[in-house]
Amino acid sequence: MGQQWGGESQLATTPDELGSAVLLNGVGKTYESLSGSVDAITGVSFDIADGEFVSLIGASGCGKSTVLKVIAGLIDHQIGDVTVLGEPARPGRREVGLMFQAPVLLPWRTVRQNMVLPFEIFGEPVDDTIRNRAAELLNMVGLSGFGDKHPWELSGGMRQRAALARLLVTQPSVFLMDEPLAALDELTRERLVFELAELCERMKQTVLYVTHNIAEAVILSDRVLVMSHHPGRVLAAVPVTLPRPRTVELVSSVEFAEIGQEIRRVLALADSEAAVQ
Amino acid sequence: MSHGLSAGAAGRPGIATPEGPTPTDEPSLIADPAHGEGPPRTVSADSVRRSSRRLGSLVAPALLFVVVIGTWEWLSQTGRLSRFVMPAPSGIGTATISLLGEAFFWEALRLTLVETVLGFIVGAGGGLILGVLIGEVKILRKTIYPYVVLFQSLPKVALAPIFVIWFGFGTVSKVVMAATIAFFPLLVNTLTGLDSVNKNAKMLFMGYGASRSLMFWKLSMPEILAAVMAGMKTAMTLALIGAIVAEFVGAQKGLGILLERFNFQLQMEMAFAVLMILALVGLLLYLIVDVIERKVIFWKGHPVE
Repeated sequence: MGQQWGGESQLATTPDELGSAVLLNGVGKTYESLSGSVDAITGVSFDIADGEFVSLIGASGCGKSTVLKVIAGLIDHQIGDVTVLGEPARPGRREVGLMFQAPVLLPWRTVRQNMVLPFEIFGEPVDDTIRNRAAELLNMVGLSGFGDKHPWELSGGMRQRAALARLLVTQPSVFLMDEPLAALDELTRERLVFELAELCERMKQTVLYVTHNIAEAVILSDRVLVMSHHPGRVLAAVPVTLPRPRTVELVSSVEFAEIGQEIRRVLALADSEAAVQ
Repeated sequence: MSHGLSAGAAGRPGIATPEGPTPTDEPSLIADPAHGEGPPRTVSADSVRRSSRRLGSLVAPALLFVVVIGTWEWLSQTGRLSRFVMPAPSGIGTATISLLGEAFFWEALRLTLVETVLGFIVGAGGGLILGVLIGEVKILRKTIYPYVVLFQSLPKVALAPIFVIWFGFGTVSKVVMAATIAFFPLLVNTLTGLDSVNKNAKMLFMGYGASRSLMFWKLSMPEILAAVMAGMKTAMTLALIGAIVAEFVGAQKGLGILLERFNFQLQMEMAFAVLMILALVGLLLYLIVDVIERKVIFWKGHPVE
């Protein structure tokens, strides 16, 4: 299955470009069910350059989470190739860091103990270097003094900060984030989205960010991939040409609104296509 | 699924304080928890209020107790209630005191306790182990599980006469009965617990490359503990029932036998005294498991999310 780019939006990079951190080529995934097979995603091709922040946006159930899980190696795909940092996708790579909508903190562990869990899974001893790094990161995400608290003693926003600290502590080169702010209240979400933007700018971090929030995608991304549904495929890539650092003032700019409008236009196109089918 | 905010009042962001964070020269992800996302407020005042409310909630049941016992005593004293049907509360009290002075009572209590606790350990332990095996090993789930469901619908106490034939009139048949009846709550709760282990947490563990055994010990086992302990509370109560029923069917000693004998001799005060002691024993055993649960699962009520 070939690429199916739609609209006038441009394809920012070609998939075979060198230096891609993540590369998907014609990826398809079909779920078998009793009532037949369902194409979750089909012909998904895109790349993420080293240090690039790419968002994947689309309606619920369009398969954007499936794309993320395929890249993480958490689920298999039947068609196409997925390359992450030069190797086929597989789970258990410490170069890849995951974050979900839920913080997924273990309630019987303190925040600090949750942070060193990845190293326990890797089978590595938790030495002073790691402990110090954990302490620094807790400080950075604003949780200094909360390291010995249990997750249920923290608010929703603080829990997601702890999850971010756990993601950072293994120093992955690619972040795969699945709607990490979606479960937070609006005020907390707005605070965190700018903090995240600043963090990723400073670290020149490679990120795939799955979201259904247009503003979030525009604030954070270098490029926004818009997905259609049934079956899920990438319909267009909308480049976000806004200057960095991205600040709160940016949200009220004309450019910000225009890029948002363009994304809305492609999303509407995806809806009408789905309606035809 | 909704997360975070669904955690209740404690998870909601606190009231923002007027002053902002102390400025630091580090730009970064500045977050001052006092600003919008504070930790839940302390609960000391709440807990004081709660304990006084708990004390208040005891008034109504205590009042009911006085009224019921008073009426009962009055009905007995005035001859409206036959002592062969319902002996007077005062009579039961006297009988209990005299029973506590008898060596045969303590011997019976000791035996029934041993049967119950041994049955609980064997049955609950077996249920937990088989539950984990069925839950974690696919082939076992396919082959054994249908039979488990089939056997579960059998009223287990109906097996008591058979167990007496198989294992005799001694302690063993009682332990086997108690174990059989204590087995299923653990099995079922372990299986349900394993089925409902948080999917995101599983994915996180897989993402970091966790092996199946590591995932079991570091994620599944602690997570199913709540369900396991709930199963243990049920199993403990059921084990006592199992032991008593097995004693009824055929035994020489035990609280069940004592109860049966007093009943047969129409010593109703004594029979009721045994009954009351049995209720207390059951409650005590339950409370022991309950205390252990509180100590072990300090995060109770806060699942992985």
